[in-house]
Amino acid sequence: MEQPVLQWQAGTVTAIRPETLKTKSFTLALPKWMAHRPGQHYDVRLTAPVTAPDGYQTQRSYSIASAPERMGELELTVERIEDGEVSPYLHDVLVPGDQLEVRGPIGGYFVWEVSLGGPLLLIAGGSGVVPLMAMLRHRAAQHATMPTRMLYSSRTADDVIYRDELDALAASDRTFEVFFSFTRQPPEVFFTFTRQPPTGWTGYRRRIDAAMLGEVIKPFDKRARVYLCGPTLLVEAVANTLVQMELPTEQIRTERFGPSGA
Amino acid sequence: MAGLISRGFLGRRRPAEVESRLPPGQYLVTDFPVLSAGPTPHTPLDKWSFTMEGLVRSPKTWSWAEFQKLPTETFTVDISCVTKWTKWSWAEFQKLPTETFTVDISCVTKWTKLDTKWLGVTVDTLLQAVQVDPAAHYVMAFSDGGYTTNLPLDEMVQGQAFVAFQFDDKPLAPEHGGPARLVVPHLYFWKSAKWIRGLRFMERDQPGFWESLGYHIHGDPWKEERYSGD
Amino acid sequence: METDEGDMNTALMVDGNAVAGQLQQIFGRDMTMAMARCAACAREAEMGALMVFTQAPGVVLRCPACQAVIARIVETPSAIYLEARGAAFLRMAAQP
Repeated sequence: MEQPVLQWQAGTVTAIRPETLKTKSFTLALPKWMAHRPGQHYDVRLTAPVTAPDGYQTQRSYSIASAPERMGELELTVERIEDGEVSPYLHDVLVPGDQLEVRGPIGGYFVWEVSLGGPLLLIAGGSGVVPLMAMLRHRAAQHATMPTRMLYSSRTADDVIYRDELDALAASDRTFEVFFSFTRQPPEVFFTFTRQPPTGWTGYRRRIDAAMLGEVIKPFDKRARVYLCGPTLLVEAVANTLVQMELPTEQIRTERFGPSGA
Repeated sequence: MAGLISRGFLGRRRPAEVESRLPPGQYLVTDFPVLSAGPTPHTPLDKWSFTMEGLVRSPKTWSWAEFQKLPTETFTVDISCVTKWTKWSWAEFQKLPTETFTVDISCVTKWTKLDTKWLGVTVDTLLQAVQVDPAAHYVMAFSDGGYTTNLPLDEMVQGQAFVAFQFDDKPLAPEHGGPARLVVPHLYFWKSAKWIRGLRFMERDQPGFWESLGYHIHGDPWKEERYSGD
Repeated sequence: METDEGDMNTALMVDGNAVAGQLQQIFGRDMTMAMARCAACAREAEMGALMVFTQAPGVVLRCPACQAVIARIVETPSAIYLEARGAAFLRMAAQP
């Protein structure tokens, strides 16, 4: 397995695309791009000009959203945190042509590749969907067919990142299904593609709980390979529930993002 | 400092009008950042105790009920974190009938917070209950969850340190160290141990949790004593 | 997905993935798949699955089973400190 020497490099922003009101995807061209493993992240470092008291520096980690098959460039999807230090800079100041210092790709634990097989259950809370999207995009690029389900919890329908792409993927790939759950305002009408879409089904209208997990995991039962990512409290609650449902712990991989955004 | 300069990135603020009141290298905050080395301990109040032990003639322990009966004072202080935050207010020393002190507190993570109001018991009051061995010059504060921090005894007396159980007129929240924490405003706030359970009196100085891993044994924000060797 | 009423310290907690870059800088290889055996309770977990507290003067890595401190990392302008007495051992693949 290749172990990159971790060095900072200056990436160039080539495109910025809004995904939802609070999230944007940033495409970076890297002088030393290397194929990552889906689920990995890059560290991003900002340095204030030397006029600041001590050449102030700060750093964050952002999951890679793009598949490694998309060669030469990298996509990071970032949620804008209201009182944040870095995400408001990325959203409000950065423009295509700007440089961004990054290092990576990083991580070996929260990683899935087609060779690891399925059945695959991807559980996302909010922006936790980003590394799981890299996994799905990689799976699609490889034309893989292991049964795969995503359970994606958001505040509202407007907060669903990659909505169109997920719907299109589910529509075109009968081995993939996506289930949405909304913790705040549920939408009036929201279609989701399952094997048997109930008419006008509007998604789950509550936090992920044991009943919901039981329904979604049912066809996979205890063979499911689970990747769970999102705010820490969601990950803790869902992971504990899965363990209580007697899913073998070695089949559960988790990534905690800390507190959720506003 | 190496690193690509990020166009238009301004970093943190150190407003000119409060410049002289912020310790060197600190930035201003108006919220109260939560810093923690571990999960919140949840000692039920009926199991909580505060102990003075070590080089004392006889150790003394208070239960929560007994601790609440000790004479209390109100303190309004500025605090500075070594992580470079400073939340600041107009600070001056005042003495109200219940003894009010106004000080600044700073965290080594570079924030300073001003105008923070606490209710608590001074270490002076606690010392009246024990006879400290004259050989004891240092104190190790110890907390639920295993956290420790060391201080010179002479910097804990004469109102320089207190055990607080109210913040902003409300019971101290668990994430900020409740039910009770140590507050030592003149040093970096990592010395103000959250979830404190006692003080151990020692002859020689010994490094606590962060002091044993690169942080300064004393921690004076005005001398920027952040790291050992500073 | 909004944060529950739950404990703010738990909400701030992350896991070993959050310090993967820092660990890779120290060890020269990915460490998230290294198994850490807790010196306190003898349970093993991948370093990627350890409870990690980053909102502090340094980083604290704790056992997910018993919460004991397994390792701590402090970065100063001139040095990196790593203390791992809380690990009975770290076990990793022979070839990175």
